[in-house]
Amino acid sequence: MNELDQKFHDPLINVLLCVADDKLFLGHRNSDWTGIAPILEADIAFSSLAQDDIAHASAFYELIHSINGQNPDQIAFGRNTDAYRCADIVAQDDEFNWANAIARQFYCNVYQYLWLQRLSNATWAPLASLANRICAEQAIHVDHITTWMEHLGKGTEDSKERLQTALDLYAPSASMMFEAPEGITSLFEGGILINEGCLFTAWNVCVDNILDGTGLTIAVAPCTGIGGRNGKHDADFAHALSELQEVFSTDPLAAW
Amino acid sequence: MVATPEIFDVLQTIPDPEMPISITDLGLIEGVEISDSAVHIKLLPTFIGCFALPAIAEEIKQKLGEISGVESVEVEFIYEPHWSTDRITNAGRASLAKHGIAVPESGSPCPSHHEIETVELTTPAIPCPWCNSHKTTLKSPFGPTRCKSIYFCNECRQPFERMKKV
Repeated sequence: MNELDQKFHDPLINVLLCVADDKLFLGHRNSDWTGIAPILEADIAFSSLAQDDIAHASAFYELIHSINGQNPDQIAFGRNTDAYRCADIVAQDDEFNWANAIARQFYCNVYQYLWLQRLSNATWAPLASLANRICAEQAIHVDHITTWMEHLGKGTEDSKERLQTALDLYAPSASMMFEAPEGITSLFEGGILINEGCLFTAWNVCVDNILDGTGLTIAVAPCTGIGGRNGKHDADFAHALSELQEVFSTDPLAAW
Repeated sequence: MVATPEIFDVLQTIPDPEMPISITDLGLIEGVEISDSAVHIKLLPTFIGCFALPAIAEEIKQKLGEISGVESVEVEFIYEPHWSTDRITNAGRASLAKHGIAVPESGSPCPSHHEIETVELTTPAIPCPWCNSHKTTLKSPFGPTRCKSIYFCNECRQPFERMKKV
């Protein structure tokens, strides 16, 4: 199906913004490590991951443009804080602590992979096709972060302890990835997206599989309350947004 | 009216900006549509939003625009079907190997089609493009461009790149 009934426009755009904004801000945060990651390979990896994420975000903004005609740059950089739909974990300041960066990446990558897998079963073909294609690249991200979880978890007492501390630190914000975007129920009921059951449960199974044997544990509670998916953001997000918007707000009509 | 083979001949001369291979051998061209003097090219990006895409599109427009009888050239990026390393021609594979870039075998499984699993750090199945030895190690799953990983051959002691399987 290539046609999209007008009544699904707003809820679908809302869901697409959740995916795109997650990717944009995680990419922005990962790009902080360019030039200063602990080893050369990690530096190349995080720079490459950042490029991937921002390219994926851009593809989703283009998809939104195909629905509402809005300029993709304007969507990416021109909104007020409460119009962004990412979960705040993607914008958390890692304080240049490598364990924090790895923990944030782990939580987000597995979530993104599973959610993209589900979006690739959407009945609206342009979304299914894009999500399916991005999934192939996202699998590489998950493979990579899995390797890091094993290295640090099975490394030394020190590496394990640091990563465990970081996992605990971000556990509360990880649960907010699962906050339901407004209008998603109407997309399930209207058959645009397929409801494949609880994503949080599927995510827990997956992260447990990856952590099995590493000695690391996570305890992420089910999502409660209102957060980033509904436009309520924390101070780290506001800071990241002001960084991202610096050039755009200086000259919104600049050619990129 | 210009003929499709003529268009392909010109596309064959356009190199990928990041690798020693033509865009046709890389398998980027999915369709060529000609109506009167207008040419419409359907192109599959390797990786989503690859930064080389605008340069490739510009080059296509310029080179095809030089053919007599062609008035306008449009380049459209499409995601269906998906580009995969399977689309790289044998001539393309040979050219990449000559420059030390390995390509996953055609038809080999794609990681995304499996359950999530750990990357094996030692990957004996991947032959070195320089000496064909299988004693190779993955040094970094990410490389100089988004579509490549970095390996090291323990036999001839040379690093090499390999295109990621997607």
